[in-house]
Amino acid sequence: MFPIIAVDISGRHRINQGYYMVCAAVAVNVSASHIESVSQIAVKPFLVSSAPDIADVVSIIETTVAEINYPGTIILEHGDLYNQPEWLSQRMFSREFKYQESLSERLAIEFAHHVSLSSRNLLMKELGID
Amino acid sequence: MKRTIVVQRNDPNADTAANERKLAELKELAHAADYVVVGSLVQSRYPDRKYQIGRGKVDELAELVEALEAEKVIFNNQLSTTQIYNISETCKCEVMDRFQLILEIFAARATTRRAKLQVELAKLQYELPKAKAIVSLLKKEERPGFMGLGGYEDSYEQDIKKRIVRIRTELLHSSKGSELLRTFRHERGFSLVALAGYTNAGKSTLFQSLVEEGTIVEDMLFTTLSPTTRSLTINQRKMLLTDTVGFIEDLPHWMVDAFRSTLDEIFLADIILLVVDMSDPVDVIRQKLVVSHDIFWKRTEGAVIVTALNKTDLIPDEDLQKKLEVISYLAPAPVMISARSGEGLGELKQLLYENLPKWEHCMISVPMSEEGMSMVSWLYDEGIVHTIEYGDSILMEIEARDEIIQKVKPFAISY
Repeated sequence: MFPIIAVDISGRHRINQGYYMVCAAVAVNVSASHIESVSQIAVKPFLVSSAPDIADVVSIIETTVAEINYPGTIILEHGDLYNQPEWLSQRMFSREFKYQESLSERLAIEFAHHVSLSSRNLLMKELGID
Repeated sequence: MKRTIVVQRNDPNADTAANERKLAELKELAHAADYVVVGSLVQSRYPDRKYQIGRGKVDELAELVEALEAEKVIFNNQLSTTQIYNISETCKCEVMDRFQLILEIFAARATTRRAKLQVELAKLQYELPKAKAIVSLLKKEERPGFMGLGGYEDSYEQDIKKRIVRIRTELLHSSKGSELLRTFRHERGFSLVALAGYTNAGKSTLFQSLVEEGTIVEDMLFTTLSPTTRSLTINQRKMLLTDTVGFIEDLPHWMVDAFRSTLDEIFLADIILLVVDMSDPVDVIRQKLVVSHDIFWKRTEGAVIVTALNKTDLIPDEDLQKKLEVISYLAPAPVMISARSGEGLGELKQLLYENLPKWEHCMISVPMSEEGMSMVSWLYDEGIVHTIEYGDSILMEIEARDEIIQKVKPFAISY
């Protein structure tokens, strides 16, 4: 089994005057094709006024992952880092980082996606923003 | 055999090892299509709109074609209609790209009507964007308005679209047939096992070793295009093993879709037996596994994946362990085998057996009568009879799938 931290950010599009983003990081233990156990989940909201660039995305991810008290490689989808090549992206993070590869890593990212999307929907509803 | 030159344009900063691997794969593909590769040309630059590679490099290519007496040039990069035209004008020989080459192999290997239709569909889908380009070029000449040439029907594009729809409908009808067959096989107690994996990983050799039957095995890409299915019995459990078409890197999604029904055999199986060639360098194995996982993602329906790490006889144990450590996060339920020498096949069969859909155990007591005896023979056909005692009644311990157990429930003593 391998410890990983799968991360996903929802809401990278403009609504009214800003970008209401929610980042979710899930720390899970995975085998090659399945999630075996979930250790911790961290969810953090972010609001910025201009479109997030790659440095913003990295800082959002680092801030959220800092909440996780668990070892593991950060796993992301290519698109989340604007399809930057892996060797370049690796240098931007302080922890170990790689793009999704195995079925379980994809599953974990899907898991993080559901967490971030539903948290964001809830937040938008509470704030009365549509 | 035609003499050919392979050409590849690499993006600057791209991974060198990956580039080399792609070029090697192109050469193997050319070999599979019966070409002799007499030369290769590589350039590192961003794509040129007119020639894909640079103007100077095209001239160099033309000289190489003349010197080596090549009859064909195959590009690894996808070429536009204009690029094909421009390059063939300069080189004075036929020019094609990787996708056309794959289609050519598929067309040559397709034997069943279904496979032929799939190849035609893939060809048409490849043609469609080009047809649009041709029509828009023609339209530039067209003069609109009164007495103009207007009313120019895009008939070429329309014809292609109509043909695509017709083929899709026909394929859909024939896929219903195979769907029925699949349900029927499941009902007959067969579990479905599909061999999947990168092309040339040794799937056909493994298939042959497992079912001990002759299928064509060659050291070539795409030997198996239409799936072959044979039955296999492990510990009295019957299963159907299907050999399928190999995966390939950078296959465009429309091509995967076109061959979907071939791949359906994989996606609808109970167990996917993923075959990996362990004699490849470790980063190549990793990349091939990533491609396989990419194809499985979202398509498999609850199938268990078993990874057969093949060709272990070709490498020392120490290397094997190192490789296994690096790729273990991509290899679910791994087992080391050598399909050629038969090493590890027993272990593989056991692993397949353990991962089959669970059957239930049941103790039943059947009356000693004619009906009772016919029930016994039916149970021998449909399930596994572990013990049988003939007395005043027939006492049996059986193992079978759920539907069978439900049918004999009135006779059950204990589960």
